Amino acid sequence: MSDLTSESAAQRDAILPARSRGDRLNEWLDRNSRHIFLWPAVLLILVFSIFPLVASAVIAFARIRLQAGGYRVRFVGWQNFEKQIFGSEQFHFLGTFGPVSVLGWVFGLAVTAGVIWWIVAYLRSGWTVIGTVGRLFPWGLVLLLGWLLAVTTLSGRPFGTLLTTYFYVLVGCGIQFLIGMGLAFLCSRAIRGRNVFRVLFFLPLMITPIGIGYTFRMMEDTSKGPFAPVWQWAGLGDFSWATDPWAARMFIIIADSWQWIPFVFIMLLAAFENVPRDFNEAAQMDGASEWQIFREITWPQILPVAATVMLIRVIEAFKIVDLPNIMTSGGPGIATESMSLHALFAWRSLDLGQASAVAYLLLVVTVITCVSFFNLVVLKRVRT
Amino acid sequence: MMEAKRVEIRSMDKHYGAFHAVKDLTLTVEPGEFLVLLGPSGCGKSTALRMIAGLEEITGGALILGGRDVTHVLPKYRDIAMVFQSYALYPHKTVAENIGFPLKIAGASVADQQAAVLDAATQVHLEQLLDRYPRELSGGQRQRVALARAIIRRPALFLMDEPLSNLDAKLRGAMRAELKRMQKDLGVTTIYVTHDQIEAMTLAHRVAIMRDGVLQQLGTPKEVYRDPANIFVAGFMGSPPMNFVTGTALRQAIRVGDHDVPLAGLSVRDGREISVGFRPEDAALCDPAEATLTAEVFIAEMTGDETLVTLVGPHEDHLIVRADPDLQIDDGERVGIRVDPDRRYYFDAETGARLRPDGTG
Amino acid sequence: MSLFTPRRIGQMSPGGSLITYLLLLAWAAFVIFPIYWLVITSFKSISDVNAGPVYLPFIDFQPSLHAWKDLLIEDWDDTRRAYVNSIIIALCSTGLSVLVGSMAAYALVRVTYAPRFSTILLFVLSLGGALAASLAYGVDWRLAGAVAVAIFVLAVRGLGNRFAATLGNGDILFWMISQRILAPVVVVVPIYMMFQSVGLLDTRTAIIVTYAVINLPIVVWLMFDFFNSIPRDLEESAQLDGATMFTVFREVVLPLSKPGLAATTLLVMILAWNEYLLALFLSTADAQTMPILVAAMNAGERGILWWTMSAVIVVMILPVLVLAIVLQRFISKGILVGAVKG
Repeated sequence: MSDLTSESAAQRDAILPARSRGDRLNEWLDRNSRHIFLWPAVLLILVFSIFPLVASAVIAFARIRLQAGGYRVRFVGWQNFEKQIFGSEQFHFLGTFGPVSVLGWVFGLAVTAGVIWWIVAYLRSGWTVIGTVGRLFPWGLVLLLGWLLAVTTLSGRPFGTLLTTYFYVLVGCGIQFLIGMGLAFLCSRAIRGRNVFRVLFFLPLMITPIGIGYTFRMMEDTSKGPFAPVWQWAGLGDFSWATDPWAARMFIIIADSWQWIPFVFIMLLAAFENVPRDFNEAAQMDGASEWQIFREITWPQILPVAATVMLIRVIEAFKIVDLPNIMTSGGPGIATESMSLHALFAWRSLDLGQASAVAYLLLVVTVITCVSFFNLVVLKRVRT
Repeated sequence: MMEAKRVEIRSMDKHYGAFHAVKDLTLTVEPGEFLVLLGPSGCGKSTALRMIAGLEEITGGALILGGRDVTHVLPKYRDIAMVFQSYALYPHKTVAENIGFPLKIAGASVADQQAAVLDAATQVHLEQLLDRYPRELSGGQRQRVALARAIIRRPALFLMDEPLSNLDAKLRGAMRAELKRMQKDLGVTTIYVTHDQIEAMTLAHRVAIMRDGVLQQLGTPKEVYRDPANIFVAGFMGSPPMNFVTGTALRQAIRVGDHDVPLAGLSVRDGREISVGFRPEDAALCDPAEATLTAEVFIAEMTGDETLVTLVGPHEDHLIVRADPDLQIDDGERVGIRVDPDRRYYFDAETGARLRPDGTG
Repeated sequence: MSLFTPRRIGQMSPGGSLITYLLLLAWAAFVIFPIYWLVITSFKSISDVNAGPVYLPFIDFQPSLHAWKDLLIEDWDDTRRAYVNSIIIALCSTGLSVLVGSMAAYALVRVTYAPRFSTILLFVLSLGGALAASLAYGVDWRLAGAVAVAIFVLAVRGLGNRFAATLGNGDILFWMISQRILAPVVVVVPIYMMFQSVGLLDTRTAIIVTYAVINLPIVVWLMFDFFNSIPRDLEESAQLDGATMFTVFREVVLPLSKPGLAATTLLVMILAWNEYLLALFLSTADAQTMPILVAAMNAGERGILWWTMSAVIVVMILPVLVLAIVLQRFISKGILVGAVKG
């Protein structure tokens, strides 16, 4: 539609004298329609998204006391962040640092070498200033996470909410992608009853995470749950998922995957079905094997969809809060606490400054990860 | 019916950023006239039409419709109806609702709407199909719905953007005739965009030929066919198109292969590159001795009432000559072409400008 | 079929077909079993739950309605309030966000916008300044806001034309969609304080508006793609016939995007129905939604009453399952996949 709505009113009024008040109102609405259509959304976002975002940034630099009839605010500079990264909350956010073990050194150096190799490969392939500056973020993030892992878990100490969140994101999304794609691939083949499978496999996505959390608590109860006989037979009758950190994390990943694999499944299934049959048939005429057809024809066709689906999934995965809150309350200790949950707990203890600081840190790592993923994977795959 | 209106386009320009889509277009469409904007795709004819409709902003110049400056007036106040190439029928509305939509928007009463819809539908022979949906109609019927929707409002000006190009060849011929008749009966000023020169020749009172955003020639179909302003218009009009041979001028003739083609009445300085053009029907095959040019037969195609002989000319270019349908000729045979001296067109090979006998070379 | 007859193209070998079925059935069992367990637990007596697992109603154990009685008769007030809240909130927030979001998406498809970069920068600066002043130095927020608006307007007037760099529709679209990246915890504290200061905490209004904004990016994103695929000719034709942008939107665009609208509406409605974290912040009693009611059942001193909990969860997911089956049909037609491709 043309942009003529913004033209001078006088000219038009000369042509079409407004008749009644109703006409005038309609005329005004019509003339301003370009604003009326867009501004409600912009205003809603400004008030309930941008304003809180800015306010949250302000709060993150303050110490706030809720008191009768209002707040008492004191600005403390970077103190909230310092506390999380270097101070008394370090164990909570980053983890407990121990003397670096041999394994830690090996892993840390391997990550460093990997990043250096990545940098060199990029610089060799023809670099630009913007490209380099943009890549500094993922490079730094990978180094940070790698060394953090090396000095905590790999040196025998527990890690904090940052790595827990990344554990959910990377391991969870990885599992979900592989299983979801596998199911979609199986379901895309010419089999009977695939519509039944399709509906069935989709359902968990729609069930509220709260319900899933409690249901899986029942499922994984080793003494009263449905698999209790199995546990007892295996001699694990007294074992509880919720007391072992890694078991508890896997416990949450299983529930999370139960919910989110359907998302990957349903989107990739549609993508598989959108691959023109001709391609497949032509390849079969050429004598390609099933694996070759998948590798050479189907995979490149679904890649753009797969990359975007995973971007959406990763964005949502960073927000994980309901499941750990319901299933383990973040425990044992802080083993299953995601950053969202960390912020929620800080808010519950009325420490709004810390809550905002953690939330902001979450925002920063989410943005860096997702933007890097978008630029380095989604765009690249779409282009090639 | 509303009185037909005059459309004046004054130095109209369209810029898309750095791209100059329509350059300084000036033309006047007389009341009740059927004007065809003709040109190859990308020549700016559709852009010009969309500017007249108000769908594109006019970035320079003025548009006067019936004496009223509408350059910056919203489309809905211009009193224009347009038929789109895709017909733009609303798939979720029946034929009757589609035709009646302009009246519904205008706030006409339901009774008035129904009467007008029936009237318009009858004019295009659609009265039996009013309850159907567009997807249930054939291409020709959809076309009629689009026409009915355009005429129902009795607009001051009809715009048509390649309305026949989605029809098959046979239907196109039939619709063309109906369209022409309808425009004549309604007497509405019409601007019609097409890339098909046959449509332009058959429909138009006057044809405006455009290229790269510039108006090349404006005239009756006969004028643009018989008296093209430049080599582009000459080559664009006619099917098969005009033949051209190019050579260097020397002593009031141009040298083409073994022959000198005389430049009748044209004074041209020696050494200038000149193109000579002639239409397939203005030439005949003859004995090489008495020919204007000689060429080798490439292929002969019998079309029924004539034979089109394609020849390879002196510069390896293809020339087409219309011949008798009973002609017997072998591929590769060397023949002469005699061109009617009064039906030769001379052009400057570099600029493409027409060189006329009384003009200065 | 003889050994030497080649298989039809696209046909699987019997072995491959068997493995496919086994895998799919295994996954089906994994999907179904938790739901099955949930349903049967809601019909178990207390002793059946506590004694250890029993699997088959009427064979392993005698179904009992005690949990449902608790839920639907004894605690009927709480259940009904949460259910009604959830329904109203899901419907209203979905309606609001689909309306506002699709209008914005349509505008971004058909109208060219060019917001000034400098204006946006100034806006953020004055907003930050006002916030810092009111929070840090105790300036009254009305005063700080007014001063900020004044400075913003003056600065835009004064500087606006110097820095002409503009953004386009694509930037606005990206800005809107990118709001989805914000985790609720990032914005929820200020939203809580905002609603507290206007006395709207624990009201449906607060939750409706918040959900609408949270889901707005999804609506804008999906509907943008949908509107983009509508042939422009249809709208231009209506425009020539005298239709305003509102008429075009209502008469032409919306009817043509029915499948996309339906799919988007369902998706957003389900998201609103299931949301937990924001409701946790914004409601305490009166505006409690179903997820909060479920979570609150954990708070009893007798530990979790699994039977009642199961019954509540069943009640909560029943309507969603119906919606999901409808939504699934849209998705399998590829309706939402188009947006993901772009």
